[in-house]
Amino acid sequence: MATKILTVEDDERIRSAVKLAFEEEGWDVSEAGTGEEALAKFSLELPDVVLIDIMLPGIDGFEVCRALRRESDVPIIMVTARADTHDVVAGLEAGADDYLTKPFAPKELSARIRAMLRRARNSDGQTLQRIKVGDLEISPEEGIVLKGEEEVHLTKTEFKLLVELAGQPGKVFSREVLLERVWGYDYFGDGRLVDVHVRRLRTKIEPDAANPRYVVTSRGMGYKLQP
Amino acid sequence: MGLAWRPLGLRTRVSVSYALGALALSSALALAVPALVQQRLLTNTQSAAQDQVWRNAEALRRDIASSTNDGEPLTENGISSALDDLLRSNGALLLLLLPDGEPRSLSGLLETNIPISVAETVATAGAAQQLTNINDIPQLVIGLRIAEIDATYYELVPLDDLNTTLNTLRVVLGLMAVGSGAAAALIGYYSSRRLLHPLSEVATAAQAIASGRFDTQLDEQPDPDLDRLTTSFNDMGDALRQRIERDQRFASDVSHELRSPLMTLSASVEVLKGRQNEMPEAASQAVDLLASDIARFQQLVADLLEISQLDAGAIVLDRSPLLVGEFLYRVLDQFGASAVISPDPRESEIAVLGDKRRLAQAVSNLLENANKYGGGAKLVRFSGDSSVVTIEVIDDGPGVPEADRTRIFERFSRAGADAGRRETATGVGLGLSLVSEHIRLHEGRVYVTDRLDGKSGARFVIELPAFHRAAEDGELAL
Repeated sequence: MATKILTVEDDERIRSAVKLAFEEEGWDVSEAGTGEEALAKFSLELPDVVLIDIMLPGIDGFEVCRALRRESDVPIIMVTARADTHDVVAGLEAGADDYLTKPFAPKELSARIRAMLRRARNSDGQTLQRIKVGDLEISPEEGIVLKGEEEVHLTKTEFKLLVELAGQPGKVFSREVLLERVWGYDYFGDGRLVDVHVRRLRTKIEPDAANPRYVVTSRGMGYKLQP
Repeated sequence: MGLAWRPLGLRTRVSVSYALGALALSSALALAVPALVQQRLLTNTQSAAQDQVWRNAEALRRDIASSTNDGEPLTENGISSALDDLLRSNGALLLLLLPDGEPRSLSGLLETNIPISVAETVATAGAAQQLTNINDIPQLVIGLRIAEIDATYYELVPLDDLNTTLNTLRVVLGLMAVGSGAAAALIGYYSSRRLLHPLSEVATAAQAIASGRFDTQLDEQPDPDLDRLTTSFNDMGDALRQRIERDQRFASDVSHELRSPLMTLSASVEVLKGRQNEMPEAASQAVDLLASDIARFQQLVADLLEISQLDAGAIVLDRSPLLVGEFLYRVLDQFGASAVISPDPRESEIAVLGDKRRLAQAVSNLLENANKYGGGAKLVRFSGDSSVVTIEVIDDGPGVPEADRTRIFERFSRAGADAGRRETATGVGLGLSLVSEHIRLHEGRVYVTDRLDGKSGARFVIELPAFHRAAEDGELAL
């Protein structure tokens, strides 16, 4: 079955051009011009990846993202105006997995989407043993994290990040290493992806997100999972 | 050479004119007051002297008269004792001329000392007085005719006391003139400083505006005289700021507006490129041209946006510790440059705290520049001490002429653009200006020199503050 992409973008010409490029990749593309339309289409079509432009008339991209996150862990890519505005962090905090700045080359987007689909589908044949750290129990194979008795709902990216860190508890992972292993970025990926995802992860698994017990920052170097 | 002539400062001029004014005023007083006082004292002294002389003459007359019985001639003894009495009682210089023509004096006053005009007036009018100098002492000469004994009586009243007083007064007033001149200079200096204080605030504010802090405002002044200056200065600042903001917004808006069509163009040309093998040769070449120029266009718009953000001060660096060797290795790898890195990046701990992607863009722009003008970078060298990390990008092209070394870091400038050396120049001149702006944001600097080994070529140097890693608090996972 072909991969299905939902493109949420209010400029019809961009939508058409992106659709053409994606169809060249062999993907199914459905389009939405507003946030409302996007939410309606999402529940109908259940796409594999959602691409959202932040600047939308009516409910904006952040709101669409938050609404989708409430019901789904579908991979979401945000399209922002600039890389260094607060939009990027806000988009990631709203639940996006990755972002691109406009104008992007569709090839770049395809590469991102492929990387995202890869991590949505498997865990690259990593050690699939259960990992127990403190109260946490991580089952890479089933994609489940238990905090005590309770299941924690993580997005695919958050889960992959946690599994990477849990693979070598106590070892420090630089942002570059995590960007490469979780997102498939090279050295020049945006470290804020890691920072915001760590933050999101902490709010879900830490007893106190402000004083993390599990995912600890190693000053100036990266992150580690405290055994 | 001698010092150049500079006009005096306002403050000096105010002080000097205050001093001159005070000096003129007090000098005029110092001159006028003794004259007035002299006049007044003289009048007083004269009338007192007149009274005295009248009394003396009267006493003399009585003495002489009493010493002679009616009708008897004056005795020499009587005259002498009368004069003697007078002399003892007030020590005056006096002279008595008797009808026998023999002058009588006990104090050395001679008839020749009496001015002729006085003698004549006494002879005709019966009394006279005149100021004169005798033995260099100002004296008042008073003459009286004593008709009863047919004698003429002269007395000299010395005025040297008066002169001493006046001289003291002159000295005191003169000193006061000098003193008040100096005081006025000081007052002028301080009051002008006080007056000029708002001006120095304006100067400071203007300097701040000139250095780019356009939100600089002067404080409201309660003084209505200064209020106008403050208000118009602040209005000017506002107008300037609005204008600059409008220009910046324009650049930013234009770039934003360009992005949507660019997005459509780049997506469409990618579809075309994917189908290039189905096209006739000419169409395929056209698609190549289109694709490469769309890429250039995208870079230009991205650079313009970056510049407009830099101008608006809206850039927030995303800084993290970077190992310079590894960083340069990655940049060269991504850029596809064949330059040698020295020393071996794997063995270096030299680090900076930087925005990885902006620094990467800066180094890439230098590599791009070397490609365009220097036949490609040959060597990328880095080094660091406790405070500064230096990155050099060295090519073996023609180098950058001395005169262009500042200009090439300005926007839309190109090395040797005016010398016709632009055959390979296809890019726009934003690259190096962005390098300069980004490095400046990192508290560093960038410049270009000749190669140090004497060969032909340019050596671009980036200097950044060194970063020292704190004690490690964990083992790094690889």
